[in-house]
Amino acid sequence: MLALLGAMALVLVAGAPWVLPAAAGGTNLESPRDVEVYIVDDSFILKWNRGSESLSNVTFSVDYQIPEMDDWTELPGCQYITSTQCDFSSLQLNVYDELKLRIRAEKGNNTSPWYEVDSFIPFHKAQIGPPEVHLEAEDKAIIINISPPGTKDGVMWAMDSSSFIYNLVIWKNSSPAEERTETVYPTDKIYKLSPETTYCLKVKARLRMQRKVGLYSPVYCINTTVENKLPPPENIQIDGNNQNYILKWDYKYENLTFQAQWLHAYLKKIPGKHADKWKQIPDCENVKTTQCVFPQSVFSRGIYFIRVQASNGNSTSLWSEEKKFDTEIQTIILPPVINLKPVNDSLRVYIGAPKESENKSVDEDYPLIYEIIFWENTSNIQNKIVEKKTDFTFRNLKPLTVYCVRARALIHYEKWNKSSGFSDTVCEKTKPGNTSKTLLIIAVICAVLLSIPVVVYVVKVVLRCVKYVFFPSSKPPSAVDECFSEHLLKNLLLSTSAEQIERCFIIENTNAIAAVEETNDVDEDYKKYNSQTSQDSGNYSNEEDNSGSGISEELLLQETL
Amino acid sequence: MSTKPDVTRKCLQPAYLVGLFITGILSLDCNVLNIHLSRVTWQNMRLLSGMSNSFPIECLRENKAFELPHEILSHIQPVKRDIKKAFYEISIQAFNIFSQYTFKSTWEEKHLKQIQIGLDKQLQYLEQCLEEEEKEDEDMKETEEDGTKHSGTTVPRLSHLELRRYFNRIYNFLKEKKYSHCAWEIVRVEIRRCFYLFLKSIVLLRRK
Repeated sequence: MLALLGAMALVLVAGAPWVLPAAAGGTNLESPRDVEVYIVDDSFILKWNRGSESLSNVTFSVDYQIPEMDDWTELPGCQYITSTQCDFSSLQLNVYDELKLRIRAEKGNNTSPWYEVDSFIPFHKAQIGPPEVHLEAEDKAIIINISPPGTKDGVMWAMDSSSFIYNLVIWKNSSPAEERTETVYPTDKIYKLSPETTYCLKVKARLRMQRKVGLYSPVYCINTTVENKLPPPENIQIDGNNQNYILKWDYKYENLTFQAQWLHAYLKKIPGKHADKWKQIPDCENVKTTQCVFPQSVFSRGIYFIRVQASNGNSTSLWSEEKKFDTEIQTIILPPVINLKPVNDSLRVYIGAPKESENKSVDEDYPLIYEIIFWENTSNIQNKIVEKKTDFTFRNLKPLTVYCVRARALIHYEKWNKSSGFSDTVCEKTKPGNTSKTLLIIAVICAVLLSIPVVVYVVKVVLRCVKYVFFPSSKPPSAVDECFSEHLLKNLLLSTSAEQIERCFIIENTNAIAAVEETNDVDEDYKKYNSQTSQDSGNYSNEEDNSGSGISEELLLQETL
Repeated sequence: MSTKPDVTRKCLQPAYLVGLFITGILSLDCNVLNIHLSRVTWQNMRLLSGMSNSFPIECLRENKAFELPHEILSHIQPVKRDIKKAFYEISIQAFNIFSQYTFKSTWEEKHLKQIQIGLDKQLQYLEQCLEEEEKEDEDMKETEEDGTKHSGTTVPRLSHLELRRYFNRIYNFLKEKKYSHCAWEIVRVEIRRCFYLFLKSIVLLRRK
């Protein structure tokens, strides 16, 4: 048993070196080494080294795999290759998808094990190739026209045709050490050169986002032409006022005519020739002065290039340098309009857009900020504040004081600052203010509180007067009392008793009524007693009568019960 | 006792003001993506909306999900500079799309020009900022070069790749549909949507 196992192990050990190559193809073919992928623009190249130098008639084959594939597929252009590189540019790939490659050596029916290349994203691996450059010479400039790297229908940079940034190096052929570098548009002009000189240049493309720097183009050389008799206009400037733009330039000679043209700046980003896209500025055709004025409405908002040419009838100069012109920068900001409104102890400031501003006001695009100068009319101390809002308040001001305000609009945008002129000064008097109002309220409350006793006293006095006049309290003389008292009292008693009877009806108790009627004489007695004690003169008041009758009622009830 | 906090509050007030003032200055700078860019972008979105009166109904069945990579928005959120770069990529791709000369008569020349001008402006602003930052980057690179080399660039690279895939889908869609009227309409709406989502995420980020 043990021997058998030992024999088996022996067989296995002995067989192992033979079994492994058999599984890999039968012979000792080695996999290729140093496999590398080179991608420049749209050309995809795979390079490798032979595993074993000694063998002849070895070919190589490559498989590839992309995410949506489950299996390896033969890479077109890379099957049974006898050399140590192959081109698989014909494969239509999504350059943003991961790509897997594997390669093996083959000889007859024998194959080496697969060598798998690390998976990669072609776009990341790709290098920017040299751009194609076309040159055209002027006397003091070279017109450059760059075709982006890659083929026209290429996939790799299909989305980057306008994203490339071109770096150019230019030097005089006679002095290669003095290099000048410039960043240029695909269609651009290199200025400030000397006439009749050979210049050489090379260009490379760059992709900002991917941080890819391309390969330099071959060196191109060109001779600048003989100096033109008429020089191009120089120092082109453009200024704006409220409604117009003023285009100015310098020129050596007089009695010439000029014309000016414009081009949309964005066109320069797009590769291709745009020479025919320059357009005439309407009021700058055949002008005899070194300036022309045209309405702002000629240009909608945007960035432009402007160029000027001189002509003397027989010949024309070359075009001037192209001046970049941004309507935003040129736009004049008009001074704002201020409105003041006093509120309590504050002044509310409203900043409005200028009335005469056209529909293309700047603040639509750029946030205006306002510099506000603020001072008390009588003093010379001016306060300056900067506000973003168009509606704000100056607080804690002195009441009933005249304050003045003026303002201007500012733009701080990118690298340029711009400001409007100052608005008209607006002055306004503040209101009495919060503090005085509260004082007033307190005063009123105090006055009311203080006046209450006074009022009470006055009312009392008045009441006393009224009482004195209408209800004199003095007794009539005793003689009168004696003469009239009994007779009057009888009348009074009669009337009161009648009243009492009436009142008795209110007590809805028939027994009680009956009792009252029965005890009429008792009542009479009581009345007699009452009249004796009463000091009433006969002109009795209701109150007294009521109380009297009330008492009598009570008495009555007490008696009847 | 109660006077103490009062006094400190009074002392702090100028500090608040200074703080406000500083953020005010910074917001005018390139370092902060804010109103400037959103303004231009909003304007461009308006232009994109105004290019046709309404989305043609007959194009609805051709509509396609381009899968704007939402995850990139979360990828780039921690770094403002990455947002700017991603936005630059979006802007330049939009510009590239709208400057292909395959439109024929899909839109009026006037509208097309306006959007090209608008996107160019958007790009110019971003370029200025990025150029400044590139210079900073170069300085940083010099110091960084000895140690960790590519560690910093991997994350934005991934998200940029996602963005490129997204725009690649748009390009391919246009190509497949042979730049038809409907294809352009769909792409116009998609890019507008892309801008919108991006601006929204910037706003969200600013609020954080």
